[in-house]
Amino acid sequence: MTTVGEPPATTRGIFDPQLLSACISCGFCLPACPTYAQTKLENSSPRGRITLMRALEDGRLDADDPTLQHEAGLCLGCRACETVCPAGVKYGELLEQWRDHQWRGRHTPLVAGGLRMGVRVTTALAAGGLVRRAARTTGPADPSRPHVMLGCMERSLYPGISRAVLRLVPDADVPAGQGCCGALHAHNGGSVEGARMAATLGEAMPGTIVSTSGGCAAYLDHQLGHGRVAELSQFLVARWAADPSSKPRLRKILVDGRVARIGLQDSCQLRNGMGVSAQPRALLREIGDYVELPSAGTCCGGAGTYSMLQPTMSQAVLAPTMVQAQEAELDYLVSLNVVCQRQLATGVKRSRVPVQVIHLAELLELALAD
Amino acid sequence: MPGLPVSPLTPSPSAPAYLTPTARTLPAGAGRPVPPDILDRLRSIVGADHVLVTDGDVEPYARDATPLFRSRPGCVVLPATTSEVSQILRLATEHGIPVTPRGAGSNLAAATIPEHGGIVLVLTRMAALKEISGDELLAVVEAGVTTAELADAAAAQGLLYAPDPGSRTVSTVAGNVAMCAGGLRGLKYGVTRNYVLGLEAVLPTGEVIRTGGRLWKDVAGYDLTRLLTGSEGTLAVITEVTVALLPMPAIARTGVAYFPTLAHASRAVAGVIHDGIVPATLEFLDNRCINAVEDFARLGLDRDAGALLLFGDDGTAEAVERSLAIMASTCEREGARGVTMARDIAESEALLTARRCSLPALARLAPITMLEDATVPRTRLAEMVDRIDAICARHDVVCATFGHAGDGNLHPTIVFDPADGDVRHRAEAAFSDVFDAAIELGGTITGEHGVGAAKRPYLERRLGADQMALLRRLKAAFDPAGILNPGKLGS
Repeated sequence: MTTVGEPPATTRGIFDPQLLSACISCGFCLPACPTYAQTKLENSSPRGRITLMRALEDGRLDADDPTLQHEAGLCLGCRACETVCPAGVKYGELLEQWRDHQWRGRHTPLVAGGLRMGVRVTTALAAGGLVRRAARTTGPADPSRPHVMLGCMERSLYPGISRAVLRLVPDADVPAGQGCCGALHAHNGGSVEGARMAATLGEAMPGTIVSTSGGCAAYLDHQLGHGRVAELSQFLVARWAADPSSKPRLRKILVDGRVARIGLQDSCQLRNGMGVSAQPRALLREIGDYVELPSAGTCCGGAGTYSMLQPTMSQAVLAPTMVQAQEAELDYLVSLNVVCQRQLATGVKRSRVPVQVIHLAELLELALAD
Repeated sequence: MPGLPVSPLTPSPSAPAYLTPTARTLPAGAGRPVPPDILDRLRSIVGADHVLVTDGDVEPYARDATPLFRSRPGCVVLPATTSEVSQILRLATEHGIPVTPRGAGSNLAAATIPEHGGIVLVLTRMAALKEISGDELLAVVEAGVTTAELADAAAAQGLLYAPDPGSRTVSTVAGNVAMCAGGLRGLKYGVTRNYVLGLEAVLPTGEVIRTGGRLWKDVAGYDLTRLLTGSEGTLAVITEVTVALLPMPAIARTGVAYFPTLAHASRAVAGVIHDGIVPATLEFLDNRCINAVEDFARLGLDRDAGALLLFGDDGTAEAVERSLAIMASTCEREGARGVTMARDIAESEALLTARRCSLPALARLAPITMLEDATVPRTRLAEMVDRIDAICARHDVVCATFGHAGDGNLHPTIVFDPADGDVRHRAEAAFSDVFDAAIELGGTITGEHGVGAAKRPYLERRLGADQMALLRRLKAAFDPAGILNPGKLGS
């Protein structure tokens, strides 16, 4: 029964063979994976999922296999496995290729397909209406100025974040005709469409693109090339260090006369995909009493469309953060991504944790001395 | 392996009938699907959620961390208690169904590959850390607790669990015991077997036995604890482990020396031990390993060096200071082109972590990384390093070597792309020569990774026919139906 080694006679061409062969199944990823921590099943570990991908590629399993269907959706796509992988496996890219194949046609999860469609519609609407509210441009695109990108969910659900950014980056250009970055599509089985959207957005914004969403930033960073995109905390820390005169005066945020206790939820794409984790912490230490939650770097379970596709696992993954936020007696729990923000806000409401969930931009705005 | 005589490599004599094993080589159900009524009975033992049967669900258990081996099991069963393990094994023996015990599946010898199908018995649900006793200097854990969880829990009470295998964050304690895992602290502290005080284990016929216990001295009967340690899941299923702990050393420090070649580093290792130092850490990497590790860990290692020797010690501040000074000067005497000391614990830990990542980091070089585990007496290390170079050149394969230099334990790793003609056969031929060279120098075919399915064909070279026959008789005494990990040790 043992098969030793020979590559299969035919492969299906679903995956980039070099990416797929990089994994040696050492299992170093197991302790980093939030879903493996929940199930303790090899199938829901990064190594196990790569074994499943190989079986799909080699024809030992078909795309309608129930385990393949289930695991393609159960993965959070948080890429925590990539940071601990000594072999340098690009799991995030493999996952995109997997879902491209797995979620075609009738296999597309309803919610994922709906959202992909929805964002297209929203984008169209936004181009006409919602963005215009915050849009601020002074004629043709000027590559020397930072361009603020407004995330799709942010425009409709959290316009306050956009307003805060404009106060923190007063010289920013906010083009009205910006589209969607495409990350949501790429992470939900539409990587070709996603890449096209990213390219279009890159053309519309010639300068440094500043994003308030770790997920959008990491995706654009990958698609447009390193250096084109900066997430807000990354941008501010670099800019204020290079030119201290550009930095507004920040005061400590007070709650009931004492300095506020502030916790953070990293954005997985930002932390694991772009390697940005020190900058938001540095900013939060300036404006409050920063508390590092043990789960700060672990996925909150929001994960793009995940909380809608996998509500049970999503809640299980979030649970430790809620307990920790309560135990740490936080006043604010800061997010770097609107998806995390929505997930955390739902979580604190459900578990009645007395903490305010807030985006980094809005908390920084609170700290602006008048 | 001090004290273990090397058996002569005589061809198998025509053995009298009483020496032939009584167990069947393979159980009746080998290579067959697990019958539906057995699946139902397994479900009634552990609950339907803990029996995996579909092709997709069992596929990830067709592999462990060994390249080139895969074999899909008939089903995967995840028990939660010793009693469940007992019922499963009794059922399997009754019906001749192969059972392959598995912890985290991080072993490197294909020891958890279900070569003949049947049940993969996964013990990760049994993960209670039952006790850490500072007064008795011991810990009691269930099978599925990871090595790092045990070590961290011990450290929280100021205690050291000394065995330190590279996969410690992944591997389970019972898996370490079953494979007698080694690691980075072997020279001073020994390996897993030196810390196992007692075991709870289930025999293939269902009886639950407790060997050893909480005692440092106990000679009542054969030392079954030692026999099960390193038995690779062929004699019994380990469900609970009692291990010895040590007081945590006051400080630990690490340094790095760079050498023109691995042979230079090997001579420095011999020099250190000759100087009367038995340090906690003496690890080396060749140039290819240095670069692969640096690509991942970005510690600022010297990418141009031919070899790196990581040396370190722990104990009282004074003793560590002295030990590191002597090691540094020995390295310089043996031609080190640079010696640096880690500034703090974080830097020391980063260096050790990077060293533990050597093997997976090498995967950056080519699709297949095939590693071996040949071990020689410390005094023959430099000679063995040269022989490996010559063998790999002769077979035209690319080899990167790292290892636990202080233990004479080498990990020559051949990296290749399977699409590249007959390279795999050349790699196998090279390793076959490496094993012969190790044995010729008084060494062994595997120091710490185990035999499993991967090295089973070479085992007789090391043990000789008489010991091979004895292994089969031992196996038959424990496992009359031959269900436990068939095809591996004792077959």
